[in-house]
Amino acid sequence: MNGAELDTDSLTLVTGATQGIGAAIARRFAADGARVAINDIAAGRAMDAMVREVAGVGAPADVSDRTQVAAMVKQLVEQCGPIGTLVCNAAYMTMSPLLEHADDDWWKIIDTNLTGTFHLVQEVLPSMRALGAGRIVIVSSYWGVIGWPDATAYAASKAGLVALVKTLGRELAPEGIIVNGIAPGVTSTPQLEVDAKAAGRSVADLETLYAEGIPLGRVAQPEEIAAGVAFLADRRMGAMVGTILQVNGGEVRGRV
Amino acid sequence: MSTSPDQGPTRRIALVTGAASGIGASVARALRSSGNSVIGLDLAASDTDHSIEGDVSDAGLVADSLAHAIDELGPIDIVVSVAGYYEMLPFSEISEAQWTRMLRVHLGGLVNVVRATLPGMLEREHGTIVAVSSELAIGGGDHDAHYVAAKGAILGFVRSLAVEVAKNGVRVNSVAPGPCDTPLLAPDSPWRDRAYLDTLPARRLVHPDEIAVAVQYLIDDGSFAVGEVVSVNSGAVI
Repeated sequence: MNGAELDTDSLTLVTGATQGIGAAIARRFAADGARVAINDIAAGRAMDAMVREVAGVGAPADVSDRTQVAAMVKQLVEQCGPIGTLVCNAAYMTMSPLLEHADDDWWKIIDTNLTGTFHLVQEVLPSMRALGAGRIVIVSSYWGVIGWPDATAYAASKAGLVALVKTLGRELAPEGIIVNGIAPGVTSTPQLEVDAKAAGRSVADLETLYAEGIPLGRVAQPEEIAAGVAFLADRRMGAMVGTILQVNGGEVRGRV
Repeated sequence: MSTSPDQGPTRRIALVTGAASGIGASVARALRSSGNSVIGLDLAASDTDHSIEGDVSDAGLVADSLAHAIDELGPIDIVVSVAGYYEMLPFSEISEAQWTRMLRVHLGGLVNVVRATLPGMLEREHGTIVAVSSELAIGGGDHDAHYVAAKGAILGFVRSLAVEVAKNGVRVNSVAPGPCDTPLLAPDSPWRDRAYLDTLPARRLVHPDEIAVAVQYLIDDGSFAVGEVVSVNSGAVI
């Protein structure tokens, strides 16, 4: 590992940071010297443990709820100073065939993954404008690039994030706020349990099945996705704008 | 960076083509400052640990000089193919010689260094290759047909080789720079024009050190990046 040069002065907010990819991002950023705020949907033991582990600060909020996001950001800024780096990672997923996809689930997925990111960027932007700079990394998915059967809402929400990254990249780069995204391939996280349940397989079984389709011959570890996020937040790099870094072991090449 | 338990960081051997100036020089400097030994292959002498002066399009020269370097320094773990040049011409004015030279240097140069280094990497089941392409290979550009054909071919080559050798411990990726502040862009290049730069989201040229940051990510930290094209282009192509 080659350490990224991160913003260690202002605060880094990582959403969905108590497990999976989000937890790995929080650990990586802390290891590279960043001050990290740990967001997840609720306070509790998992959040307390992450906060202790990375010597960070807890920031519970449901990102799909504008009021909660606004209150969380306000409190963080008052407590810890401006937020210079935002990693939008919080996500929700269910899987089912299209006709069984309930309206409630569709909206919960869209509201969390896509609208939640919209809320976060809007609420954090004044902080970055005050700093005159910022880094925003949005976690999409390779399913948002190529689509996936039975993941209609999730894939649509993640594809929406690709367009959001491109648009915000164009809109905010002139003022030094750099927006990029990452589209992880299959990664060994608790989210795979949803997928395994829908497929009626064990997680280990599913990982083996997926690995067969990946040129590297294995699924990603969360730390490998976190490394890509750290690279996108590296303050030595200001010329990557509105890009989607595809970290997928070679499974999907050249689609965004 | 890989480490061995009792020796600390392992000193790796990297080959950088086009190492004498611009992006290649930035990459060579970055790799050396993070503890690697760098072989520079360029028409001009490079500030590297082992400077080879020669043309990357000359397959015999590349094979012989790298065989010699490997004998002297040890196996090459890292290849960064940067050597290239830029010229703008309307398609109808591109001569046969200009077309051929463009492909021989960019695509041929990459293939020549891969031929010389990949067998060793496969044998050791360890290595990483980064080829520098161009954002023009993604978006195209007028008066760039031969340059873009060559840079586009690099992307196809990278994605195919990446899939072929990933399971053997060799990762192959690419960086596609946008207009970059290097000697490749003449002082009067339209890419340096303020009016053009003002159309870019980042409002400026890419700095060669930013390409080096992307290359280092792919080499040291991008362990799940395979067949990837990292776009560092100030937002020229989104």
